[in-house]
Amino acid sequence: MSAEGRLVLCADDDEDILSLVSLRLRRAGFDVATATDGEEAVQIARSRRPALAVLDVMMPRRTGYQVLEELRGDESLRDIKVILLSARVQESDVARGLDAGADAYLAKPFKAQELVAKIEELLGSGASPEPAGN
Amino acid sequence: MTTPTISERAGPGLSGRLPMSNATTAFIAAGALAIGLYFLLPPDGQSVFYVVIGASSVAAIFVGSARNLPRAERLPWQLFGLGLAGQVAGDAIFAVYEVSLDREPPSPSVADVFYLAGYPLLAIGVLLILRRLGGQTSRTAILDTAIIFSGVALVQWVFFIDPYNHIRFGTEGARLVAMGYPAMDVLLLVALAQLLVGPGGRAVAYRLLLASVALWVVADEIYGLNFDSYQGGDWIDALWLGSYVVWAAAALEPSMAHIAEADRRRLPRLTTARLTLLAAASFTAPLTLLIERAAHHRAHAFVIALGGAALAALVLLRLAGLVHAVERAGLAERVARREAEQAQQLLAYQNQQLLEIDRQKDEFVSSISHELRTPLTSIAGYVELLLEEEQDTGKRGHLAIVERNADRLLALVSDLLFAARLQYGRLELERSPVDLQTLVRQAMDSARPRAQAASVVLGVETVDVPKIQGEPAKLAQLLDNLISNAIKFTPRDGRVDVRLAARDTMIRIEVSDTGIGIPDEERERLFERFFRAQAALERQIQGTGLGLYISKAIVEAHGGRIGVDGAPGEGTTFVVELPVA
Repeated sequence: MSAEGRLVLCADDDEDILSLVSLRLRRAGFDVATATDGEEAVQIARSRRPALAVLDVMMPRRTGYQVLEELRGDESLRDIKVILLSARVQESDVARGLDAGADAYLAKPFKAQELVAKIEELLGSGASPEPAGN
Repeated sequence: MTTPTISERAGPGLSGRLPMSNATTAFIAAGALAIGLYFLLPPDGQSVFYVVIGASSVAAIFVGSARNLPRAERLPWQLFGLGLAGQVAGDAIFAVYEVSLDREPPSPSVADVFYLAGYPLLAIGVLLILRRLGGQTSRTAILDTAIIFSGVALVQWVFFIDPYNHIRFGTEGARLVAMGYPAMDVLLLVALAQLLVGPGGRAVAYRLLLASVALWVVADEIYGLNFDSYQGGDWIDALWLGSYVVWAAAALEPSMAHIAEADRRRLPRLTTARLTLLAAASFTAPLTLLIERAAHHRAHAFVIALGGAALAALVLLRLAGLVHAVERAGLAERVARREAEQAQQLLAYQNQQLLEIDRQKDEFVSSISHELRTPLTSIAGYVELLLEEEQDTGKRGHLAIVERNADRLLALVSDLLFAARLQYGRLELERSPVDLQTLVRQAMDSARPRAQAASVVLGVETVDVPKIQGEPAKLAQLLDNLISNAIKFTPRDGRVDVRLAARDTMIRIEVSDTGIGIPDEERERLFERFFRAQAALERQIQGTGLGLYISKAIVEAHGGRIGVDGAPGEGTTFVVELPVA
């Protein structure tokens, strides 16, 4: 499955990390939309319908968890794959993210290769009618 | 001769189990023989021998009290001695009259003065012992004594004293003296009643004392009822003589030293015996009336009414005291309950505070983790990016150094946070079946570059082992910690060997090195938080002192144990055992 033309939403309040993630994803061939807080992330998700969202957890206005809940609670946004990318790495944080419906939880710092591989895995399976979350 | 142990001496409850000492038994036996002999003697001999038995007993009382008691505690027994000496003096005067003049002394005579003077001394002696026993507030003790006194006095007056008013006496003096004896017996009866219900009671000496007072009073009362027919040498003499002998035996008995030590179990309570006694005293008035009616005597209406009224008043006072005591106890209980409730509330509040502090600590650790990892993410991420793009070997080397140090910093942050969370005792595992053989091989693979850099040979020896239930990431961290440590502490051209084996229900992992070894004195502290070996400090081997602390926590969370083997200079082997189940 090619990444061509697939839109990925990246949301992080740390601009350095946001640039890094965007750059990595563009190089991997994805279209990238960026948001610097949770509110903006929800707006972009509604207006541009990305295939996948990479969300930081600790963001102003809305946390990654809240954005995730918003997406999962909206019929039209429910299919967007979500990767939580966070420096909060305690088991409780991870468990909370997965319970809220995240497809994956990656810890910061992350390896670029790892992130891209996870996105491709999720979008690849998302193209076929397999159930989400394996 | 039994030798009482210290514990037996400790209290009357125990000393009461002591058998009577052999000396006391011998004394009583000799006394009984002497009393037997008394009845075989002719009248003159009887008079003299009576005095001899009495005088011997008085002497024995003084000897016994001097031998068994410190000077300050002898007073009650000295009073007994003096009181009985008064009796003996009276007996002696009788003996002089009978032997030399062949007749009884006139009535009243000097003998009566001695006899009667002795009674208060005996009664005071008993009351002193009872007072030392304590066990009651002085108010209730006085009230109880007053109640018993009233009852005894009433009965004594009606049945033993007043009858003398209806008998012809040579002189009024003789009548008064005759009435004096039952009057004095009131004192001894009160003393006897108090001894019966007193809080002491188990020491042999206490029982002997009680018996001697009882013998004396019984003899007096029988005499009082039959004084017309009494003659010297009558069987009643056996009771008086017996009282002398037993009284002396009580003084000679070593347990008399503990006679004033209360039996704690009986101390503060209104015992059944005491209650019975008080009830009996209270009922003397109506009972006396009934008995007089039954015997068709003229009722002592005035005396009975007076006695009944006095008893009623005293019982009321005693009741008031009890009610007060109950109220005080109730008040004390309410206060105690309120204090307990307050303490409980405080405890609940503090508990809540602690939970809150715990939650804040958890949140703090989580935040710190976030704050430290976020900049590290940028550093590591951009260095990774640069390393991919940079062609210049020199610059690549520099970037590799930045990358390595960023990795180290990240590992340090992770270890610190791990240790901080262990402090709160929350290492929760996400268990799944783990193939340790695979984990060991992976750990070896990732350690190989470091081993090569340090010129250390890595050896591995594994067999197929059953899977265990564990958290793969934590077990990988454990293996990485142990292997990294071994490499760090092994000089160039040394070896690090990892062995994996199954033994019964345990899987054993050994990580051994040919390094500098661990001194005995450090072995104990090796797994402590922040502990660093002296060698590590001297050689500036990097580390936080957290690796083994974390390793131990991981092993224990998996239900296993970790230990260390090897002597200084001969390398070190860390042994981990993990249960299969």
